[in-house]
Amino acid sequence: MKLEGLHKKINKIDRELLVLLQERMGLALLSRKLQKSDADAAREEDALARMERLNLDLVKSSFSRQLLKAIIDESRRLQEEERPLVAFQGEHGAYGEVASRGLVPEGAYIPCLEFVDVFRGVEEGEFDLGVVPVENSLEGAVTQVNDLLTTTGLKVIGEIKVPVNHCLLATDETDYREIRVVYSHPQALAQCRNFLLRNKLEARPYYDTAGAAKMLARENPKASAAIASALCAELYDLDIIKQGIEDEASNSTRFLLLSRQPYDGRGDKTSIIFAVAHEAGELYGVLKLFAEAGINLTRIASMPLRSDPSNYSFFLDFEGSLEDENVASVLARMQEMTISLKNLGSYPAGKLAK
Amino acid sequence: MKNLRLAVRESRPRTVIDVCGVAVGRDFVVIAGPCSVESEEQMMASARAVKAAGADMLRGGAFKPRTSPYAFQGLGLRGLKLLARAGRETGLPIVTEVIDPRDVSWVAEFADVLQIGTRNMQNFSLLKEVGRTGRPVLLKRGMYSTLEEWLNCAEYILSEGNPNVILCERGIRTFERYTRNTLDLSAVPAIKELTHLPIIIDPTHSTGRLSLIPPMSVAAVAAGADGLIIEVHHRPEEALCDAAQALTPAMFTDLMGRLRPLCNFMDGLPE
Repeated sequence: MKLEGLHKKINKIDRELLVLLQERMGLALLSRKLQKSDADAAREEDALARMERLNLDLVKSSFSRQLLKAIIDESRRLQEEERPLVAFQGEHGAYGEVASRGLVPEGAYIPCLEFVDVFRGVEEGEFDLGVVPVENSLEGAVTQVNDLLTTTGLKVIGEIKVPVNHCLLATDETDYREIRVVYSHPQALAQCRNFLLRNKLEARPYYDTAGAAKMLARENPKASAAIASALCAELYDLDIIKQGIEDEASNSTRFLLLSRQPYDGRGDKTSIIFAVAHEAGELYGVLKLFAEAGINLTRIASMPLRSDPSNYSFFLDFEGSLEDENVASVLARMQEMTISLKNLGSYPAGKLAK
Repeated sequence: MKNLRLAVRESRPRTVIDVCGVAVGRDFVVIAGPCSVESEEQMMASARAVKAAGADMLRGGAFKPRTSPYAFQGLGLRGLKLLARAGRETGLPIVTEVIDPRDVSWVAEFADVLQIGTRNMQNFSLLKEVGRTGRPVLLKRGMYSTLEEWLNCAEYILSEGNPNVILCERGIRTFERYTRNTLDLSAVPAIKELTHLPIIIDPTHSTGRLSLIPPMSVAAVAAGADGLIIEVHHRPEEALCDAAQALTPAMFTDLMGRLRPLCNFMDGLPE
């Protein structure tokens, strides 16, 4: 092997070590929630002793003890920092993490496999906050998230719009002309439908955009690429074949920040979910209240009720706070007109993430 | 010309091709830039220079068909990305050569005009492939080809349902050795008689001599060509390819200053 090739491999391993450390630190922060620090000392000595016995001839036991000690000290320092734990769905590098950074700049961002893990983790106190996508400008509502919003008791305390700039990524050993299969989250694949058709590429759904990038980097399946953010290219050492492959340039996803407690303040936007009886004019009656009170609606979405598929839940976002008199009186009137009404809370209107 | 169906003039109106707002076939169009994409710095400097001088489109090669397999073959995909970035930053549409049918859909992802070089004029599988993309195609004349052979190649692209063909005369091989090729300027009025397609002139590769590029450019305007494609390098002495025939930005600016009034004069001439 040539020197250049060896250097490349070494760099790749170093990068993987750091990405793994990032994951490890996240887990250490999670464990702090569950366990008091006095139990830590015994566990630490046990772990160090076990690693020493690993018997790797190029990694001496004295060196591995020193290295692990440094890692443990750093994770202990991080635990002291009291960063809020922010859960997002996907792997590191996912758009959910980009949104989390924008919403909670000093957080510790914890990847979760599924949306339900984010909701349940926040509800049960495993995480402090959760960040979930609620709608995309090209593909519309993220139904799973909307469904979870109706069934769990979490409050919305913030929102952010993340511009989505999809890239086609591949390992540097992959010849772009041989790419036949593209892995990504179904939403991302749908947003790049024309690009995939044009280049005769087969779309393979994967649980997450960043997860697809990570899998590609680790397993390097033949003739394959992934669709993910440019951040993932950096994180997982992949080449960007083409940037901006989404069908419409103005592609963005709106994320909500979830918490067990409502927003501590007035807020200038409010989200509610309601259902009305299946009778003529019921929905109109509700919307009329908003029109008459001069409240501007920013989102209306509907979804069939799981429990009663012939009926619908309606998602309304509007300008104004629950503390505003006109909003409060509209909601009081709605109480009588709806068969269910859930208030997700008022929060500051979102900005655009960088 | 008996086999031509779509390329022939007959009673068809002249074809005007819209390349990101540049109307080829209606306005006199100047395409300029380096022979090959070499680096980000070289591409950006050349792009800014030709934009400032008033060029309408940017050229640059990422895949180079070289006579020798040991000569610089181009930067490939990396070159395409650099060219696309230079195009985006200057607002100039980009023209680049494609030499391999497997690359066509990928080059079409980045380029606004696909160029078929003189050596590939009769590469029929490549012609069909660029025909299918629907992207405008700049079809250079083969250095040993007759007008009829050339127009049959245009017919290949047209018959795939792509009406956006721009012809480019780039000189043919004769016994003359002083010039690199012999620029066949009579092709301009001949093509205008035979077809409805626009034709532009490449004074760089046809003459291969710096001193001959400006006078032949002027002659191309007078002959009624729809445009020019000219090699410009921000530092020709450092070029990795065709160094001796690239204009400096100053020479190109000077030439553009002479071409524009001539175009206006030509427009005012009675038919």
